[in-house]
Amino acid sequence: MDRYEIIETKERIEADNDIQAEKVCEQLKARKVFMVNLMSSPGAGKTTVLVRTIKALQKKYRIGIMEADVDSDVDAKTIADTGTRVIQLHTGGSCHMDADMTRRGLEEMGIDDLDIIFLENVGNLVCPAEFDVGAAKKVMILSVPEGDDKPLKYPLIFQVSDVMLENKIDTASIFDYDPALAEERAKQLNPDIQTFRISALNGDGFEAWTDWLINAVEEWRKSL
Amino acid sequence: MKIIELHESVTASNDRDADAMRIAMKKQGTLLINLMSSPGSGKTTLLSSTIRSLKDEMNIGVMEADIDSDVDAKRIETLGAHSIQVHTDGMCHMDAGMTQAGLDAMEQKDMDLIFLENVGNLICPAEFDTGAGKNVMILSVPEGDDKPLKYPLMFSTSDVLVISKIDALPYFTFSLEECIKHVKRLNPGIQIFPLSAKSGEGVDAWNNWLRTEVKQWKED
Repeated sequence: MDRYEIIETKERIEADNDIQAEKVCEQLKARKVFMVNLMSSPGAGKTTVLVRTIKALQKKYRIGIMEADVDSDVDAKTIADTGTRVIQLHTGGSCHMDADMTRRGLEEMGIDDLDIIFLENVGNLVCPAEFDVGAAKKVMILSVPEGDDKPLKYPLIFQVSDVMLENKIDTASIFDYDPALAEERAKQLNPDIQTFRISALNGDGFEAWTDWLINAVEEWRKSL
Repeated sequence: MKIIELHESVTASNDRDADAMRIAMKKQGTLLINLMSSPGSGKTTLLSSTIRSLKDEMNIGVMEADIDSDVDAKRIETLGAHSIQVHTDGMCHMDAGMTQAGLDAMEQKDMDLIFLENVGNLICPAEFDTGAGKNVMILSVPEGDDKPLKYPLMFSTSDVLVISKIDALPYFTFSLEECIKHVKRLNPGIQIFPLSAKSGEGVDAWNNWLRTEVKQWKED
């Protein structure tokens, strides 16, 4: 007879989270709200990408933003300047969002009159990749100064993402960053990943990304 | 604008283990430095430059912590420093127990200086004492001067801040002055070394700091 039971805490937490994520996903589908889970390292440009994306889409769609941070509201203030609805979520030290935190954020924000919601996840390449939040699409940003070797070191986030945005592409020559190599490494992990070379600062390559997003929203709506 | 607090209890039960490790490393005369930063801030590049500068003066070892790769350990090995790779198996930080396991696997008794290159992450590594004698963090210029506002714990718990990639200052809207102001507000005692491991600017001050610390660690 076994003298003690071994509990795989991590697996259980993730299994519970998946059930919650499914509920969030169903709720968003019922209200036809398309949610994007935006993930990256700190300082890769999530907020700058969001601001430019909002400006490109705000005439076409009603957009809401959930800013997740450990304990600040720097980004929410930046987003609020665009006139978009934004709420700030504090994770209280936790390094990622999970499905239940997301559900509470959506409740607080109110989603009935929105078309698209961006969840700006906590700046981290590790844990956010493990926790499904019920989003329609997962988008990750790899910024040029981080280096083209990041898919080798943080494979999971590249495996689970639908899109990789290679941001700060205008600095590629300064940092010896090879976009083709980064894309090849990402596609080895995830052959279906869509990649876009962009600069959120000067707008290079941005239209291809926003076109993709519009198409993804429309396809998703048709599938409902 | 609404702010919602999502609290989660974090266990910090490894503080005692970390303290015991620090005492043992002190007795042994080996300074363990816990090196932390975001992914891609230049931890491995700084280590490479440091090893090249100091390897003839002291015995240096490197413990590379990664989720599941050995890209960095291979880079360090080519420099001739003793290195081992620790896999955290998905975990986003090192703790005292994992660090001790890494030290046990290393032939490190006669080493003067060991760097633990933590997992690339600005959040969780700051919460877990690894038993290191000094905590050093890197913030790279492309990440932005607002990072102390967004990840305050990391800046509060570090003894040293290295501001890396300063050769890229002309290309980014990064104010050294603003950054230092934010950091000093969180941690008035922190030492700050702006440098570029690529151009070599500022690395002497960092290397000298290491020399002094290694010497002091052995003395008192």
